[in-house]
Amino acid sequence: MMLRQAAKKALGLTSRQSTPCSVGISRSYHENVIDHYDNPRNVGSFDKNDPSIGTGLVGAPACGDVMKLQIKVDEKTGQIVDARFKTFGCGSAIASSSVATEWVKGKAMEEVLTIKNTEIAKHLSLPPVKLHCSMLAEDAIKAAVKDYKEKRLKTNGVGESSQA
Amino acid sequence: MGLIGDRRIRPKERETTTVFATEPPWLLQLQGFSGNYRGLSSSLKPFSILQEDEFHKLANVTMNHLLEKIEDYGDNVQIDGFDIDYGNEVLTLKLGSLGTYVLNKQTPNRQIWMSSPVSGPSRFDWDREANAWIYRRTEAKLHKLLEEELESLCGEPIQLS
Repeated sequence: MMLRQAAKKALGLTSRQSTPCSVGISRSYHENVIDHYDNPRNVGSFDKNDPSIGTGLVGAPACGDVMKLQIKVDEKTGQIVDARFKTFGCGSAIASSSVATEWVKGKAMEEVLTIKNTEIAKHLSLPPVKLHCSMLAEDAIKAAVKDYKEKRLKTNGVGESSQA
Repeated sequence: MGLIGDRRIRPKERETTTVFATEPPWLLQLQGFSGNYRGLSSSLKPFSILQEDEFHKLANVTMNHLLEKIEDYGDNVQIDGFDIDYGNEVLTLKLGSLGTYVLNKQTPNRQIWMSSPVSGPSRFDWDREANAWIYRRTEAKLHKLLEEELESLCGEPIQLS
């Protein structure tokens, strides 16, 4: 709820943020973007301390974009079984990370690392100035996978660790 | 969520400070990582923080230089729908059906961001040694990248460096 408020505010304040607006040109969001904004998929959080969860946190509030993308991985198969996201930013950023959570579900970790920002941008028909949002979403996926792998390494390194 | 770390960097006045970046996100941003990778190892290189006024000076010179050169270029090439505009510190270059470039200063990160119809989004940091804006992921230099892309798009070479 709060996130949507913040997101709406962010949308309204877009012209004052660092993310630029083309001067003198009116443009509307593509219907795919609006769809993800009105019906965001997979909004929420997992417990980041859960060993099967990888958390990717990218961006910075100063830039107007922060994305948190979390993946739930099946330890045995290495498949991503579920994903959640929370994004602070413009409609394009929200839509990009929403799309990212949809696309990672049911895929192997190695496979999602090949998801390119260009594909996300194409799917949402992002205008040039918003391509950076799709790149951030790609980075979020990579960061989540990286986090999961590092957590696994840590756990395996310790050996038979007791449950936290 | 711990978006911003608690550590603060206090650069000396008018001097650059070398720091090792671990977290928080804005420090990694300054180094050109467009993401905050949690638990990043100590393999990060030290980097210098550009002071804000120095950044503005450098970036403004770059943007105005690009504006001038590309304006002249536009007079020489025959591109339908060629238009270049610099407003609110955003440089928008339209090449008709060939696509649109958007370049802007991203002051919090001390970066210049570019959106290219050829190479997509990229973020350039000022590299003192190279005296150039460099996209760390690909080691591409801003001026050189634009030169190559514009020539391949419009068919005429351009000298930006």
